[in-house]
Amino acid sequence: MSLALDVLLALALVVLAILTVAGPGLFRAIVMFIVFGLMMALAWARLGAPDLALAEAAIGAGITGALLLGAFRALVRADPAKRRAAFRRPSRLALPVAVLATVLVAVLALALAELTPGPGTAGALARAALKDVELGNAVTGVLLLFRGYDTLLEIVVLLAAWLGAFALRGDEPPAPRTESAATVPLLDALLAAVVPLAVLVAVYLLRAGGHAAGGAFQAGAVLAAALVLLVLSGRLRPTPAPDLPQRVLLVLGVVVFGLLGLAMLIVAGQMLAMPGLWAVYLVEVAMMVSIATTLALLFAGAGGLRRAP
Amino acid sequence: MSTSLVYLLASAALFGIGLYGLLTAAHVLRKLLALNVMGGAVFLLLVTRESDSKLVTLAARDGAAPDPVAQALVLTGIVVAVATTAFALALMVRLHAVSGSTELDDD
Repeated sequence: MSLALDVLLALALVVLAILTVAGPGLFRAIVMFIVFGLMMALAWARLGAPDLALAEAAIGAGITGALLLGAFRALVRADPAKRRAAFRRPSRLALPVAVLATVLVAVLALALAELTPGPGTAGALARAALKDVELGNAVTGVLLLFRGYDTLLEIVVLLAAWLGAFALRGDEPPAPRTESAATVPLLDALLAAVVPLAVLVAVYLLRAGGHAAGGAFQAGAVLAAALVLLVLSGRLRPTPAPDLPQRVLLVLGVVVFGLLGLAMLIVAGQMLAMPGLWAVYLVEVAMMVSIATTLALLFAGAGGLRRAP
Repeated sequence: MSTSLVYLLASAALFGIGLYGLLTAAHVLRKLLALNVMGGAVFLLLVTRESDSKLVTLAARDGAAPDPVAQALVLTGIVVAVATTAFALALMVRLHAVSGSTELDDD
């Protein structure tokens, strides 16, 4: 029974991927990709990885989908005639190359599946070491205690992506995502309900990240989704450059994590060591704030945001 | 046929589909979609590998799910993928503004 579910899920993933890369129409391809992301989230849940399921749903499907649709809209606005032009480039080699790659990956995967992992793999060691720490969620533990460099540089990559997008925009003023602040009465009620709820969910995910599924990335993405909603409804307006508080929010994750890491280098002689649970939560809060700000600014295609008058 | 085998084969198929899309798509946006599908295939392979039947029985004794290190790597990968996608989309919009085209030259 459960195997049937897995087969159906895998088939759905494959069909959605085909529709994404070869289906008609760019808009439909984007929608198919978003559904593909949600199906991936289900697959993570089936594989026993709820952290990944949350991250995929919030970041992989949600924020990426919003970014893709935003960019699509910018293209259509600039050039409405091109909306339908999605012809493909003929290539005799593409199909054989793709088939060979599929076979290669399948053979590698099956060969890997045959291997019996020896004792003392990194995962088993990490799990054993985490027994001594008060962190119930092994993924959060690995991210912050054992792979601190990865996590720190991940935030830097996100910041670099925003800096790159900011630099690319040049001198043009950012186009608002909406023409005017919508005055639909239901919209205010929706925002009044959804935005506080999103903040609550984000804080819960952050707090839960210590002992159950959740963490800074998932929480940051949920918070970013609330900001995206505010941008879409015209409540927040893009500005050419971030003001001082926004600059602080953007770099908060890197600065807090980096300074703490340096302090631990001096105190304990080890870079990025975590002095305790409080430090884990401190770094997670700072990362959540930075991730939310960066993702929202990337979506708005703006240097900064301000409240609509 | 075990659960992990299903997902391993699916990830191989997704990789091929993504590669095909990357090679044939004319529009940059669709190339990006294909690239993301390929990324998803690699993530699936990494985590499935670590949660295959032998490991699951090992992990079940610990009362836990797939290898946390693989999960942490994939979580990092998902965030880096969204960052690169966002930057590539900004590049694409800029390319369109400068050249009026959303396709890349062959060379």
